[in-house]
Amino acid sequence: MGKKEKVKKVKIGKLAKREARYGYIFIAPWLIGAVLFLIKPLIESFQFSLADIRMTPFGRRITFVGYENYTQIWLEDKDFPFMLAAYFLETLMSVPIIVVFALIIAMLLNGKIKFKGTFRLIFFLPVIIVSGPVMLMLTGQGAATISSINIQAIYNTLAIYMPNYLASAIADVFGNMIMILWYSGVQILIFLSALQKIDSSLYEAAKIDGGSGWECFWKITLPLIKPMVLLNAVYTVIFISNNENNSIINIIQSAMFAGNKGYGYASAMAWMYSLAETLIIGIVALVMLTRKDAYDKQVRKFRKEMRKEQRAIKRARRKGMRYAARVNKKLNKALKAAEPAEANKQR
Amino acid sequence: MAYKGHNINPQKFNKSQIKIIIAIMPLILFMGLPIVFIINHAFKPMEELFAYPPKFFVSKPTLDNFDKLFKASRMAGIPMSRYVFNSILVITVVVVASLVLSTMAGFALSKLRFKGKNLFININQAALMFVAVAVMIPRYLTINFLGITNTYLAHILPWLATPVALFLIKQFIDQVPDSLIEAAYIDGAGDFKVYRKIIIPLIKPAIATAAILIFQQVWVDLSTSNYYVNDEGLKTLAFYMNTLANANTNVAGQGMAAAASLIMFIPNLIMFILLQNSIMNTMAHSGLK
Repeated sequence: MGKKEKVKKVKIGKLAKREARYGYIFIAPWLIGAVLFLIKPLIESFQFSLADIRMTPFGRRITFVGYENYTQIWLEDKDFPFMLAAYFLETLMSVPIIVVFALIIAMLLNGKIKFKGTFRLIFFLPVIIVSGPVMLMLTGQGAATISSINIQAIYNTLAIYMPNYLASAIADVFGNMIMILWYSGVQILIFLSALQKIDSSLYEAAKIDGGSGWECFWKITLPLIKPMVLLNAVYTVIFISNNENNSIINIIQSAMFAGNKGYGYASAMAWMYSLAETLIIGIVALVMLTRKDAYDKQVRKFRKEMRKEQRAIKRARRKGMRYAARVNKKLNKALKAAEPAEANKQR
Repeated sequence: MAYKGHNINPQKFNKSQIKIIIAIMPLILFMGLPIVFIINHAFKPMEELFAYPPKFFVSKPTLDNFDKLFKASRMAGIPMSRYVFNSILVITVVVVASLVLSTMAGFALSKLRFKGKNLFININQAALMFVAVAVMIPRYLTINFLGITNTYLAHILPWLATPVALFLIKQFIDQVPDSLIEAAYIDGAGDFKVYRKIIIPLIKPAIATAAILIFQQVWVDLSTSNYYVNDEGLKTLAFYMNTLANANTNVAGQGMAAAASLIMFIPNLIMFILLQNSIMNTMAHSGLK
């Protein structure tokens, strides 16, 4: 085989092509909106975060300053780094609380009880309140804290055992307990829908085999609603972070119109903030995703073994080929060396 | 799974239910708290609004706050009905259009195969993380570029691509079994038919949830009125209520703010009551699995 055979490019089939076309058709309207009002502004705000922007009577004046905004925030701003750290800890702590609380409530509401419909309604109701000015008013009135819990006492007790910033974060979580419960409306709903989709025959089978309710929860319910747990955790993080009551958002907003800071500075803050948010979501996802079920693990192990075997076979074959080639070469050489000699002899 | 339909309450009352009800009751009280508070707060007379410690229930309800609010609005140049009309128009278009966009995009991202799909998913997730405040000015630049400042479009367009709604809906469409869709394809349905006849009915609860989320986000939003629209007659009710409450930051303003927040809250409640049926019947009859 002297000539190299060109590998023909595999053409996309008609069906796949049609499907792809429909995919683009379906996504196009959203994409146009997203490009104009999400992606382009995001990119622009990143550019702005690297610049100093002043509004002058003659229009915007943008001077590129590199990462100066970022260093300024970390080195000179007296609030932002601390608030970011506090936000980080607090969110990390309240996400599990909200998700677990939502799951418990969803489990309770999924049982056979009277007035179930009414109960569900009431648990979802806070969702229509927690965003917006109403909530601001409520927190302003002190209605969102349990007055009987002494936050200071909790803080003092905790501060003995752990570093200061951690203790204050935990104390804050206790202080905002009612708020946290109010945030869990959508999560309860998502869990409920997931719980209702679980086939009841699974539970029956488990019961016949002698599984208790506790075991049923860990072996059937939890693995089946796991994707929803992740969804809920992510949703919770986003909800907490993009809430109007969040103090960091207020800081960013006020920095935007402050004379000495300006829009570039605020953009840099916002980018840092979303980075922290992404980090939290990454941590949450990591915690959720590392626990694979036993079956999944087995499959993975088996596949790995198979791949290993295949590689070994290939290697052996390659080795064999190389060996064969070497032998061939030697043989050829020997033959070539022998040929002239033989020819001479014959002459 | 049996079809449960609209009737989720069991007919019989059993003794074993009591313990669950006992567990839920205190939580129910907490959950109901804010609503009771808002309603009570709006009817409080002046001395009760500033009572310390703050009172939860109103003892001498009056309509004073509403009276003041309407009086203040009568003095303004533009009638309140104009703002109400603006708000209703904007919110209807935004909710309907963004739901259509989100479900279509969610269907494509979840069930169809095409190049760049993962990129779009990642973009949406990145946008999800980003705070709306930060993109305010770039959005203004875009709106300016499109030449739609001082039109209704300036209210509507920024909300159309809502990352949260798409995220929620896509996650629900992921749960729709592939075999159902394949069966439809085999029976000769096109993509649009699958979208209309299978996806939409099956994810109705998610759509209802997303509708409520979008609704309340847009309903209380001030930023579009604040930054993208100069014409007073084109601003929304939320903005108007806010200015009324803020313009009188004196003692009287507090009562007006309380009344305004109740007025702003009622459409939320109505929307919720309208949609709650489809929300509460979540996936009870979602076919397979």
